[in-house]
Amino acid sequence: MKLSFYPGCSLEGMAADYARSIDAVFKALDIDLVEIDDWSCCGATAAHSLSEAMSVILPARNLSAAEQMGLDIVAPCANCFNRLRFSQQMIQKKVLDIPWPVTGDLKIHDMTRFLAQPAMIKQIKKRVLKPLNGLKLVCYYGCQMVRPPRITGYTDYENPQTLDRIADAVGARVIDWSYKATCCGASIGIGRREIGNSLTKRLLDKARQAGAEAVVVSCPLCQSNLDMIQKDGLEQPVPVFYFTELIRLCFSERRDPKWFKMHFADPVPLLSKINAI
Amino acid sequence: MNTTVMDHNMSSERRPGEERKFIGDRGDYFLNRIQGETNGNVSACYQCERCTNACPVSHFMDIKPHQVIRYVQLGWREDLLRSSTIWVCLSCEMCTTYCPNEVRVAEIINHLRNIAAHSSIAPKEKQLAVFHRTFLEVLSKSGRVNEFRLMKAFYSKPHILSEKIKSGNLKEELLLGLALLKKGRLKPFSTRSKLTKDIRKAYIQSRGEIV
Repeated sequence: MKLSFYPGCSLEGMAADYARSIDAVFKALDIDLVEIDDWSCCGATAAHSLSEAMSVILPARNLSAAEQMGLDIVAPCANCFNRLRFSQQMIQKKVLDIPWPVTGDLKIHDMTRFLAQPAMIKQIKKRVLKPLNGLKLVCYYGCQMVRPPRITGYTDYENPQTLDRIADAVGARVIDWSYKATCCGASIGIGRREIGNSLTKRLLDKARQAGAEAVVVSCPLCQSNLDMIQKDGLEQPVPVFYFTELIRLCFSERRDPKWFKMHFADPVPLLSKINAI
Repeated sequence: MNTTVMDHNMSSERRPGEERKFIGDRGDYFLNRIQGETNGNVSACYQCERCTNACPVSHFMDIKPHQVIRYVQLGWREDLLRSSTIWVCLSCEMCTTYCPNEVRVAEIINHLRNIAAHSSIAPKEKQLAVFHRTFLEVLSKSGRVNEFRLMKAFYSKPHILSEKIKSGNLKEELLLGLALLKKGRLKPFSTRSKLTKDIRKAYIQSRGEIV
């Protein structure tokens, strides 16, 4: 199987470890991810905040490049996925002039839903060498991957299941909680630190109260926010995993603690406690 | 008799925020404009406050989400553009998703933010507004946004550094930056997209310039 891959800016910087784990997982699953030729930024929150036209034009550039490759798109970042889908809908409505040739006909997958399809879950289960038994975690989806449903296509946006199904497939114990899709504050901490911190702290508290020892995410910004707030060490750190990091662990014979060196809340003690590393 | 009428119109007799607003037919004009541009179903709002109750940051807003919709109906344009609400909103889409009348609250707030960004009204949350603008500038220079470059550009903007010193956040943020560099999460060197020229052109056009 071949798909075009839209990594997004974070995967070159703050979430380089996410990129590496994605690479390993898709190689193991024999799925060919072809990076979109000369991709550019989707515009994120800034584009739609200041210029609604740019928020359609910027993702359209990448849709156009992917269309020339003729491959459906998979995006690991929640916001990239959301912006690409939004742009696609606006292109189909033909309400804006796009400087690039684009039809908006390709399928755009978010990576969690792609890997949570029954056939893919089967493939994942088949390749698990050693399941993560005993790892108690909550799945955190954030906003942009699930909302608004008319753009993301999620029908279970109140209680999404894609990450839950994947975490379950790799043997972890998934705990239910009420904050799956509550906002982490995104980039607001850059200008208003106290707002960002209050939202992130509450999420970590609620995860702990639910009995989780770790959080699983798919969005680079959610990961950064939940992890960075633990920079100075907490009494009871809550490691924040990308879901592909967990899959990669299970797929590998030799597991390297260095895979997690970019994390502030170090997952290695937790993983060695359950004999996973 | 006349004195009572006069008293009624004297704003000094009223508490701040209670001044009488004369809007004439402007109300309809603004409502129709927002309705047309966002397809937001503004008139369907019956003030149930579901949006405000779902909002994770309504606590930090001066005009709450349900009030935003009421203000749009009344045409209180300046109050909205001067509010902190339009900048504090995270576009998390809780309000829109849970509205029983399909009022597109988040899209309306986002559109107000767009209008404010192109107006002469100074944003109440300057740092948040400047951050968005800096993001687009970095994007239009290299096609992609490298976090190190973005933060460098943001801190170089006028008044940002001094505001960070005033709020007492500077030290903590510099330490965070250093920690991120050490972890290898901030990368001082970045890749570019080859089509930056086209992106820059689109950006300039979107600001109304002829290229």
